[in-house]
Order: sequence, then C-alpha cells, then structure tokens
Amino acid sequence: MSPTTTVTASVHVRGLVRRYGTRTALDGVDLDLGPGVTGLLGRNGAGKTTLLRCLNTDLEATGGEVRVLGCAPERAAERTEIRRRLGYLPQNPEFYPHFTAFGLLDYMAVLKELGGRRARHDEVRRGLERVGLLDRRHSRIRRLSGGMRQRLGLAAAMLGDPEVLLLDEPTIGLDPEQRIRFRGLVSELAVRSTVVLSTHQIEDVAALCQRVVCLDAGRVVFDGTPGELVDRARGHVWEHRGHPGEGYTAWRLADGRYRVLTPADGAHTVSGPGLEPVEPTLEDAYLLLTGVEQDVR
Amino acid sequence: MNWHLTPAQAHEYAHHRSDDVTAMSVEAHITRCAPCRDLLPADEAWLARSWADLRDVVDRPRRGPVEALLSSLGVGEGTAKLLAATPGLYRAWLLATVVVLAAALLAAHHLPLGSLMFGFTAPVVPLVGVALAYGRGVDPAHTLTSVTPLAGQRLLFLRTCAVLVPALALCTAASLMLPSSHAPWASAFWLLPALTLVAGSLVLSRWLHMGAASAVMGLLWLLALGALVTSSDATPLQLLAPQAQVWWAGALATLLVAILWRVRTA
Repeated sequence: MSPTTTVTASVHVRGLVRRYGTRTALDGVDLDLGPGVTGLLGRNGAGKTTLLRCLNTDLEATGGEVRVLGCAPERAAERTEIRRRLGYLPQNPEFYPHFTAFGLLDYMAVLKELGGRRARHDEVRRGLERVGLLDRRHSRIRRLSGGMRQRLGLAAAMLGDPEVLLLDEPTIGLDPEQRIRFRGLVSELAVRSTVVLSTHQIEDVAALCQRVVCLDAGRVVFDGTPGELVDRARGHVWEHRGHPGEGYTAWRLADGRYRVLTPADGAHTVSGPGLEPVEPTLEDAYLLLTGVEQDVR
Repeated sequence: MNWHLTPAQAHEYAHHRSDDVTAMSVEAHITRCAPCRDLLPADEAWLARSWADLRDVVDRPRRGPVEALLSSLGVGEGTAKLLAATPGLYRAWLLATVVVLAAALLAAHHLPLGSLMFGFTAPVVPLVGVALAYGRGVDPAHTLTSVTPLAGQRLLFLRTCAVLVPALALCTAASLMLPSSHAPWASAFWLLPALTLVAGSLVLSRWLHMGAASAVMGLLWLLALGALVTSSDATPLQLLAPQAQVWWAGALATLLVAILWRVRTA
C-alpha cells in the first residue's frame, strides 16, 4: 500500500472544513502534527471532537485535505491502512456490558487485526496491565465503575501501540493516582507516536503537552507551545481584593481575593487598592484566549 | 528435609536416573530451596514459554458453544469470535423474533387465513435483525468499533451473517410448524423475499444508515402488500406464489451481483 502523498507529518490537515447541514463545525483548519503530545483545547462546540472524528476516518471532510500517516481517509484502502495504525478513545465510550474486560479487549484486538490468538492475548494482557485492570480481567463490564470503564477504553485505544493516538476527554472519571498513571502511559507512547489529547483538563495539558492547539468556532486561534500561550497572558492577570465589576473574567479565590483577567483589547483596566499583577497559568491564558467574558463568580 | 543436594544427586535427578524415592525427595526439597534449584540445568526460554502458555490458558475467555462450533467447521478463530459475539449483542431482537413468530404460528393455527400473518411477517424478521446489526445508534460500542480496520463492509457483512443464520433458522422452524393443510410450497415461500429484502438493504447501505436502508426495504414490502390488498384484480398472496418466486430469485441475484461489485470496487 503506498500512501497518497509524501507528507512528513503524521497528521497533515489543510483548509479542513466540516459542515453539519448549515452549521459549520470546522472552518479552514490547518495543522501538521508529529510525534509528541498535542493538546487540543476549546470550549464545548468549538470543533474538537469533529476534528478528531475527521482524523480517525469516522467523518468525511466537507472540504480541504486530510492526511493521516500519509494516507487519505476518503480512499477505502488508505482508510483501512489508517485504521490499522490508529487508536481512538471517544468521549464517554460505551461498551457491550455483558462482555468481560478481557473479552472486550480481545474482541477489539480482532477488529484491529492484531496477530494470532496468542500474540493477541499477550497484547490484551499487556493493555489491561498498563491501565491497572489485569486483576479485573474476568469482570463483566457492567460491574466495572465509570473510572474503570474509562481505563478500559484507554487500553482499547492503545492496543497495538498505534502510531497516531486520538484521545477525547480521556481523564474524565479517573482519580488522581490513575490520572498520573495515564500521563506516564501517554508520555511513554508519545516518544514514537503522535498523540492528540482533546480535553478541558488544563492541568493535563500543562503536564503532558509539548504543543497546544486552541479551537474556537471551528478555527485554530492558537498553535504553539504551552509556554508561548502563557506568555500571551503575561500582564493580563491580576489579583484584586474586591470584584472588579462587570465585564471582567474574575473568580473568587480561597483567601477571599479575586483573580481577574483583563483581555488585551485595551478596553479593560483594573484599578484601585489591593491590585497586584500575578504570574499567569495555562488556564488563565486559555480563558483569555477564548475570550470568556462572563463573570465566573 | 535437612540435607541439600550434592552436584552428583542433582546430575542424577536431572538425567532421570534417580530412584523414585530420591526423585520425590528432591522435588519436595527444590520447591523450597533456591540454591539447590540452581544446581539443576534449566531451559529459561522453555520455562518462559510454558509460563506464558499457562497464563494464556488461565486468562483467555471461555469459548462459547457457537464459537466452538464455528471453529470446528473451519471458520477462522477471529471470524468465529466476531460471529459468535454478535448474537449476544441482539438478545432482545432474538427474543422479539421468537415472540413474533410464536404469535404468527398461533394465528396460523387458530384464525381463518391466519397463515398469511406468518407469510407476510417472516420476510421482515431477518431485515429487522440486520437493521440492528451495525451502525451508530444501534451498536453501543460503535464509536469504538467503527474506526477499526474491520469496520465498514467487512464487519457489516459478518454481522449480517451472524443475524441471518439465527433468523432464518427460527423462521424455518416456525414454517415447519404451520398447519399441515397449508400448501406444500408454503414452508419456504418467505425465504426468497426475506433474502431479497436483506440484500436490498445491504445495497442501500452504501448511501444510507443501515437502519434507514432496512426501513426503506421494509416500507417497500408494506407498500407492495398494500397495493395488492387494495387492487381489485390481485391478492397479497401473489407476492408469495410460486410464480412470484422466480421474480424474487431474479431480484436477489441482481442484488447479490451489486453487492459483489461493491465489495470488489471498494
């Protein structure tokens, strides 16, 4: 199988447009992604899941060009090739409740064409072990907790060490210990694979991602490193002893002070006693970027 | 046991030259004594393989009767697993099929012209199963399975087979229980229409969701029945008559060619 074009990036997207009827979910997205973890940030409805579904071959693009591992998802043979080399964890994955954890992964491994029975079972066992579910391998899925099911979904996505791993809200339902374990797993895989992590968990992005892509209304509004995103917020984050008034993004802290974000449009200034500039976090930068104007008290 | 193996004893044991009593003593001792165990030659690769084999025997899911039967018939291990797993996904449909066919049989035995109910229901039963076999909204794990290499036509056809076999078996069993006064050809009159409707839905699934494709075919069946009911010079029975079977066979052959063409050009 020869890929359609010679593209060095694992994921290559140019002018990607995806419409649902009259609604435009993606509006001219350009991306080139290589090995490492890329965080995909954006509000609900920004187009993150649609972008992942265009990359995972589930949705056809309305316009533009998508190449994953050099293959074009619109061509059947190349689509199958992408699927062989790709892992995907959907948001809120659902399973067959009467399957056991081992049985489900084995079933997924058959669908992923992962070798003969023994090799497949070894891979299933490895998958269960790395998400900490080996001791629950014979449990029916209906008896697993939400967090366990999420980990099972992760194990399914990681079967066969895919070259491209697309994760949609992967840490929902994970406890802190599992979240740290997940970060370790993803970091390990990202040494040689391209991982795209769509999430609202900014701390996961800060801990894992070498690159951040922010989407807003179907467009890429930022593409750079987490450090570059934070730099953009420098000089726009404050702490204030009282609420600054309407029109600011501000929230009350544990000590009773308010954290205040002032957009870079120059129209907002904070003044008064008790005001002090503070070092921005990635979350501050993200909120400023997406232009959250509402009072989050 | 408070002794330890001498190199000579270890050598004798390793070469199966120890007497039975000594061999049993050695075996009991080396389970607890690592230094003596180390005196025995070991094939590490063989040990690793054996442990892996043992682990696999313990861990692997138990094969159900359907999977075992398919494997014994020569179906590939992976394909057998996919086929056997599928009916488990549609237990509610299987149960509903049994209920509908039982109702049709009751009607056939106790109502005048009751056999017609079976005749017009049986072709739709497999169609409903196929509609529930694949696609978003009917398969709970579709978001996971739809982006695997086997997804798409291959999985759709596999699941269609997995649904068709029990559906056709149940319909055949029910048809054999129809009243004996029924025409001899009646036991199989539903088969070609059923297969044609399923083949039609598979062809339409190229453009439509599987559920919608099956709904279109089901609607066409109902429209044909309705047209014949309201017609003054025809009856719905003509849909199932021996002469109509020729037309059903022709339509089925055409649709199968279309499916094969689709598979080859995909």
